[in-house]
Amino acid sequence: MTDTLIRYGFLALLAGLVVFFSLATNGFASPQAAVFIFQSVAITGILALGVTATLVVGGFDLSIGSVATSAMMAAAYAMIVLEQNAVVAVLFCLAIGALVGLVNGLIIVYMRVPDLLATLGMMFLLLGLQRIPTEGRSIAAGMTMPDGSTAGGVFSPSFLALGRHRFDFILPNLVPVSVVVLIVLAVLIWFFLEYTRYGRMMYAVGSNARAAELAGAPVKAYKIWAYVISGMFASIGGILLAARLGRGDIASGNNLLLDAVAAALIGFAVLGAAKPNAFGTAVGALFVGVLLQGLTMMNVPYYTQDFVKGAVLVVALIFTFALSNQGRR
Amino acid sequence: MRFTRRAFSGMALAATALFSLPAMAQDMPAPFDKPGDVKIALVRYLSTGDFFQAYLAGVEAQAKALGVQLQVLDSRQDAALQADMVDQAIALGVQGIIIQHGLTESMKEAAQRAVDAGIKVVAFDVNVENAAIPQVEQSDRDLARLALEQAVKDNGESWKAGYVYVAGIAPLDRRDETWREFKAKYPGINEAAMFGTLDNPIANSVANQARSVVTANPDIQVMFAPYDEFAKGVKIAVDEAGLTDSIKIYSADISTADIAAMREPGSAWVATAATNPAVVGQVSVRALAMLLAGENPGQQVIVPPTLITQQQLNDNDIKNMEELSAKLPQFAHADVAMPAWMPNPNK
Amino acid sequence: MQATFRIEGLGKSFGPYRVLDGVSLDLFPGQVTVLMGANGAGKSTLVKVMSGVHQPSAGTMTLAGQRFAPSTPAEAIRAGVVTVHQNINDGVVGALDVATNLTLDRLSGKGARLFVSPRRMRREAAEVAARLDLDLDLRADIGSLSLADRQMVGIARAMSHEPKVMILDEPTSSLSSAEADRLFATIERLRAQGVAILYISHRMSDIRRIADRIMSLRDGRITGTFEDKPLDYEGAVNAMLGRSVAVDAVTARDGGEPIFEAAGMRLKAQSLPFSLSLGSGEVVAITGLVGVGKTQLAETLFGVRRPLAGSMRLDGRGYAPRNTAEAIEAGVFLVAKDRAESGIVGDFNLYRNVSLPFLRRLSRLGVTRNRAEREAARAQIDNLSIVCRGERDMMQTLSGGNQQKVMVARWMAQPSRLFILDEPFQGVDIAARRDIAAKLRASAAGRATLLFLTEIDEALETADRILVMSEHTIVGEHRNERLDMDRLLAEVAGGAMKGAA
Repeated sequence: MTDTLIRYGFLALLAGLVVFFSLATNGFASPQAAVFIFQSVAITGILALGVTATLVVGGFDLSIGSVATSAMMAAAYAMIVLEQNAVVAVLFCLAIGALVGLVNGLIIVYMRVPDLLATLGMMFLLLGLQRIPTEGRSIAAGMTMPDGSTAGGVFSPSFLALGRHRFDFILPNLVPVSVVVLIVLAVLIWFFLEYTRYGRMMYAVGSNARAAELAGAPVKAYKIWAYVISGMFASIGGILLAARLGRGDIASGNNLLLDAVAAALIGFAVLGAAKPNAFGTAVGALFVGVLLQGLTMMNVPYYTQDFVKGAVLVVALIFTFALSNQGRR
Repeated sequence: MRFTRRAFSGMALAATALFSLPAMAQDMPAPFDKPGDVKIALVRYLSTGDFFQAYLAGVEAQAKALGVQLQVLDSRQDAALQADMVDQAIALGVQGIIIQHGLTESMKEAAQRAVDAGIKVVAFDVNVENAAIPQVEQSDRDLARLALEQAVKDNGESWKAGYVYVAGIAPLDRRDETWREFKAKYPGINEAAMFGTLDNPIANSVANQARSVVTANPDIQVMFAPYDEFAKGVKIAVDEAGLTDSIKIYSADISTADIAAMREPGSAWVATAATNPAVVGQVSVRALAMLLAGENPGQQVIVPPTLITQQQLNDNDIKNMEELSAKLPQFAHADVAMPAWMPNPNK
Repeated sequence: MQATFRIEGLGKSFGPYRVLDGVSLDLFPGQVTVLMGANGAGKSTLVKVMSGVHQPSAGTMTLAGQRFAPSTPAEAIRAGVVTVHQNINDGVVGALDVATNLTLDRLSGKGARLFVSPRRMRREAAEVAARLDLDLDLRADIGSLSLADRQMVGIARAMSHEPKVMILDEPTSSLSSAEADRLFATIERLRAQGVAILYISHRMSDIRRIADRIMSLRDGRITGTFEDKPLDYEGAVNAMLGRSVAVDAVTARDGGEPIFEAAGMRLKAQSLPFSLSLGSGEVVAITGLVGVGKTQLAETLFGVRRPLAGSMRLDGRGYAPRNTAEAIEAGVFLVAKDRAESGIVGDFNLYRNVSLPFLRRLSRLGVTRNRAEREAARAQIDNLSIVCRGERDMMQTLSGGNQQKVMVARWMAQPSRLFILDEPFQGVDIAARRDIAAKLRASAAGRATLLFLTEIDEALETADRILVMSEHTIVGEHRNERLDMDRLLAEVAGGAMKGAA
């Protein structure tokens, strides 16, 4: 009984919420609503999948929010100031994400700085760094540069398509690119963590690093790779953010970080896993999305939503730690 | 006593200095006769975003025009830190402080301490409940009024509205008062949904909410989003929902990015009412300068807003804030807190 | 004589599992009562009930004639029943200095002062230390002390409560023999002070040395009490295991052609170089006290660390692994010491623990093949008679002996050239130890097998050849056949005795 509750409790709760909102609001039960719930959690979901990789190796990445906003600024800077095309902008962002992840990993693994502190430091560093090239201005087409000249570039249409193009699915023009990216990345990371030996070793590293090392695993490399994955996922989130907003916004990304971490932690409770896992993270993100969009449709003010988000997280953590430990005894 | 050549030339130099200084600052009252000795501080609560960047540019421009030293202290939305920064400014020995945004509760006492220390203080967009401190305001009520009057002009007196609002932020609260007045004045305005969030990036978070709102209420005709970040988010949601033809967005504030968004083909964002943040920055410094010179800028220094429509932007082919200032002169300068001696940074 | 502490009909169940079933036990002042029991007999649970961690399901405890039913460990300590736990670091706070640790209990509880005066604290700490002749720098950080010193601090701290009953739970398991000597001296002192002592251990050598009485625990029941001098040790072991244990005589075999050779090896700057040759099919044990370099040697062979000097050859080719992966690739496997810390992956079930080092061979294009993994694990479960419900059991549900079998199984799943086991019988009951040893000997053909064992008895039971290590070098070699026990013991003790001689 307890076992069933632990395994399927959260999925049942999610299904219950969907039914409740479908009855309580207009328009919740439609393909469009389903798609935009996915869309509303796409960016935080992608960040959460990245942070899941670091959680798996027993680490943590607080810099993902600022990596995302830095990537957003970088994309805008590449196109508007440097007048590059979409491909260059995307590669530029991915390179930044990979580089930040690599630096995080090196600092944590070789300099032995605790993960929370290293990535916290990186977060502040990026918050400052993203403002330096434009002296604190947001980047938009036609913006005035610090030297008084006007930037000549524009957001390339193919880049904006990442945020605005929709694929036909059931209905024409239904599924936006960001949702497709979310699903593809979720499946990829899920398969990677659950079904490849690399993923298995990452779990081993997170559970008992010394045992993994004595079993022949290059523990340091796995840890560094986890941060690189996290950084790159965050930069993909930033690219989609830039494509959706159509400009480079000065923003801390702290809310992205908090929502992503919440999704990953809620994911612990899904299917009674009691450990970081990609499927749980995706469900966790979706759960938050369903809840927030449903509540918004019901005209519930935003501060109540923060409260609800927090309550869900606390309940999920109780599920994970109290109930599943009891079940294991 | 004999005058040596060196002593003589030294005296001559001193004499030149004595006579020439008052001559140079003749039209400037004390302490601006020696502007290099005047130190003022800008203590900021909000700094992220184009508005605040432009505001700072205005402050800097006016400070430069006056020739005073400017110290910028930025608390980054940390209310307690902002109060500490006022004390820090007092310790730095500034003569004047501009408090830019903040919370009444945290700033009231800090502001009083500054006044007690003999420092002149003006506050922008934060009510510190102090008779000695003039309030610089971009008239939020006027902002909301201009945008809503345009909405009524465009859509008639009865429509279904979505409203973006977060309580507890002073300018938004004042804009909200006008919205309430309008709803009372025009009973045909029906507020179908109210939403809003300050989770950053704000536009992204608001877009997510607005998607839900327009899905639940597809018959909304007017979105009143009296803050440009809100309006950007609503515009993204309206575009994504494919409702650009049936919804019109009215907002407040403007930036280069906003201009681009308003001018997109078929954009639902039709009008915004804005005060030039650079002008507000200039007025803040000017009000402080008047206080320092012993003049009274008035208890409330209100910077009047300008209505900017999509139509105007397209007609004048305005692409950024500089072109906006250049092509809409009412936007570039406000004749507020402008005594005759005050240098105009725009000239 | 009046018993200080009396347990009557004590029972404790966890859900359906009855761990203690009517245990009755008396502890007398000034006596060391040794409690012997195989793994899973219920020793730890008994200690936890006595120290207030668990509440009994049945039965009573009395302390000096008063009913004793502590609901928290603190209550037990206040009443005068103190426990020195197996895990030494449970008894001390690593971040604090010695003086603070010694007086820690005065920082909390009733009457604790709000402000800490370092001078007063050091004075009190010095008093506590003096009672045990503890010669330590009171300002030193706990982290800088040896394990034995930390344990002394833990005991001294326990002593500051002036206990009536002291429980020592396998206190020598991580101590060297010199350190153990100090512990025994302390126990003598406590005994002289009239403290009733319950001493829990596996080690016969310890038991022979300090026991006044022996009680055997099996399956949650007391199965034997031995108090007539001379004590009947064989009887106690028998009562503990429920079967007669004859020391299995090993038929020593000679190694075939050498598989592993090392020459001029040096593990430490001042240590003498040594050579090592391990032949095909032989089981070699390296014995020696704790801290003489056994684990360093094991880790050097496995590529965790590098020798200071010397060369190694495997199957006639140079062998210098830069990391564990290269060692494994070359066919050198290590079952590491201390399975909880360096072996078991707690989040993984049994079969995933077994497959860990050989995932590459069990996966195709990087994708794991669960079916192959489970088959391999099932084969090992049969091979080593691992007691479990199935290959998907979580490791925590297995007993210590079976966990260790899984660790051995992990490395026996693939053929090796050199199979190294570092203290494979640590925390393993005798039955499991026999199983593992028999399996190692039965499968030894075609590889070299090297065991690192502190207990000489274990070496005698399993090895064809016994090497003795002392001061980071090899000091003796014995064929396990009518070997000269006196010489062997002298070699083992050599390093430790040198100062005294």
